[in-house]
Amino acid sequence: MEVFYLVLRNLLARPVRSLLTLLGVLIATASMVLFLSFGEGLRRALFQELSRVGPAIQVVPEGSEGLAFSAYPEITPTQVEALKRAAEALGAQAVIPTLFLARGGLDPQNSFFFQGLPPGVSPDLLYPGLRAKEGRLLPSKGGAVVGAKLAERTGLAVGSPLRLSPQVTLKVEGILEESGGLADNLIFAPLKALQMVLGTENVGAVLVALSPDKKAEEVARALERAVPGLKAQTTGEVMRFAERALRISDLVRFGISLVALAVGGLLVANTVMMSVYERTREFGVMRALGAKRGFIFRLVVLEALFLALLGGVGGLALGGVASQAINLYTQSEVGLALSAVTPRLSLFALLVALSLGLLAGLLPAHQASRIPVVEALGRV
Amino acid sequence: MLRAENLTKRYRQGEKEVVALEGFTYTFPRGATAIVGPSGSGKTTLLNLLAGLDLPTEGGVYLGEIPLHRLSEDERSEARLKHMGFVFQQWNLIPTLTAWENVAFPLLLAGWPPAKRRARALALLEGVGLSQRAHHLPNRLSGGEQQRVALARALALDPPILFADEPTGNLDAEAKEEMAALLFQAGKERTLILVTHDLELAARAERILHLKGGRLLREEVPRKVP
Repeated sequence: MEVFYLVLRNLLARPVRSLLTLLGVLIATASMVLFLSFGEGLRRALFQELSRVGPAIQVVPEGSEGLAFSAYPEITPTQVEALKRAAEALGAQAVIPTLFLARGGLDPQNSFFFQGLPPGVSPDLLYPGLRAKEGRLLPSKGGAVVGAKLAERTGLAVGSPLRLSPQVTLKVEGILEESGGLADNLIFAPLKALQMVLGTENVGAVLVALSPDKKAEEVARALERAVPGLKAQTTGEVMRFAERALRISDLVRFGISLVALAVGGLLVANTVMMSVYERTREFGVMRALGAKRGFIFRLVVLEALFLALLGGVGGLALGGVASQAINLYTQSEVGLALSAVTPRLSLFALLVALSLGLLAGLLPAHQASRIPVVEALGRV
Repeated sequence: MLRAENLTKRYRQGEKEVVALEGFTYTFPRGATAIVGPSGSGKTTLLNLLAGLDLPTEGGVYLGEIPLHRLSEDERSEARLKHMGFVFQQWNLIPTLTAWENVAFPLLLAGWPPAKRRARALALLEGVGLSQRAHHLPNRLSGGEQQRVALARALALDPPILFADEPTGNLDAEAKEEMAALLFQAGKERTLILVTHDLELAARAERILHLKGGRLLREEVPRKVP
């Protein structure tokens, strides 16, 4: 019969109330875990993708840092030429101008993302390890190569036509093997064709591949000096930028989940307060028998902490299951696992749940430990 | 030995000052001392002060040489744990604990290891004739049984002072007799302070203190029936 046993016996003596409180904390924690799991999922997916990108430097227009490719192509042919000359002088292995084009709507089933490649540049130079499952890997002037999941989702096959505009229609020439990355959901097409669709000769980004002996940060700074108006980002810089953005979004989502957490905390506080009120005499007896104030305080706080811990663990499990369910859906729809319950998120959720329990238990515990013994015993 | 010196307790009731106890001085020797008096005579107030459950307005309580009234709340709790046992009128068992767990509660507070606690609690319950009821919750016990569990609990740490406040007040005749026998048996080797309305019960004590209007009227040594 240790103190913890006393706590357990008291909670079991009022099973319905304890269970309802537990459910409140459980749901609050699960909702927080789910909210925050999106940030963790995005972080994981982004870092996996960036680590798969071959070229070490991405050059984008100033002001669109962090986005690997700007929404609208702004880098002019003159800037591309100047970059090529500077990169060659700095010993770069390859300089690849590229742009992205999105076609379709909000429905992922009907959305198509194109990446433009200059003549002779194969998709596996950008995403090392890519291989063709059917047809060819390097698209011809009027052809396109489709990522595995996109092909599966949309039913595109070798020979299928892709009408980008009244003037531009491409033919699918290859289907890629599944790589588990962004390339599974892309269509690789000739850069010229995409520029024609957009009516521009500009590109969205220029990728610069380096030999392993070159320091990416140094080359990036040299490129920025050589071509003003552009920002050369290393993979590490993009990751840091993304991390900053994700942290802000984490805070926003945590703020939203605080509402649920506050409700859970109030439930625990209410349960413990009710329990203290009902057990005033019992605490008086304990004090009369020799229990110190700290003993009563610990007893009440432990009750709140125990409820919060159980609810936290349950909420974590429920959040994990919900996260898996969401991933099943997003993987089938867009090929990405957008939610992740990572060890640090699990630890954070448990700490938040325990802090909640502690906060909810402090006031009732203080009250329980301070009530005069004769009053508690009804002996006034 | 427990000693009260000029023990006084006053409290305010609205604008009025109420004197619950005034100038009580007495040294409680070993053996049973009954405190009797009509309602409002200050019996419960006196017991609260003697046990350190409440503090006097004036005067003091001495546990040997220790001034109980000058100790902090937690120090008084510790003094109660080490030196005092309680049997209340309303039994006051912890409802979520079984009979033996209730008896073992003071032992838990005193830091006894679990196996020793259990053995001591079961032995005490056997002593009050309740070994068969050791694993029952209080709500499964009769009033008399609950009061015997409370007595076993009061004796758990073998305290030198035992307080009993109307210990037979809620019991039928048979349970009352059983309880009285056990209580006075336990009181033989210690200082038993018994607060009661029941003059028949008080007569079994070695001395009776009569209170009225918050004052000690007289001390009486009851005549024992041969």
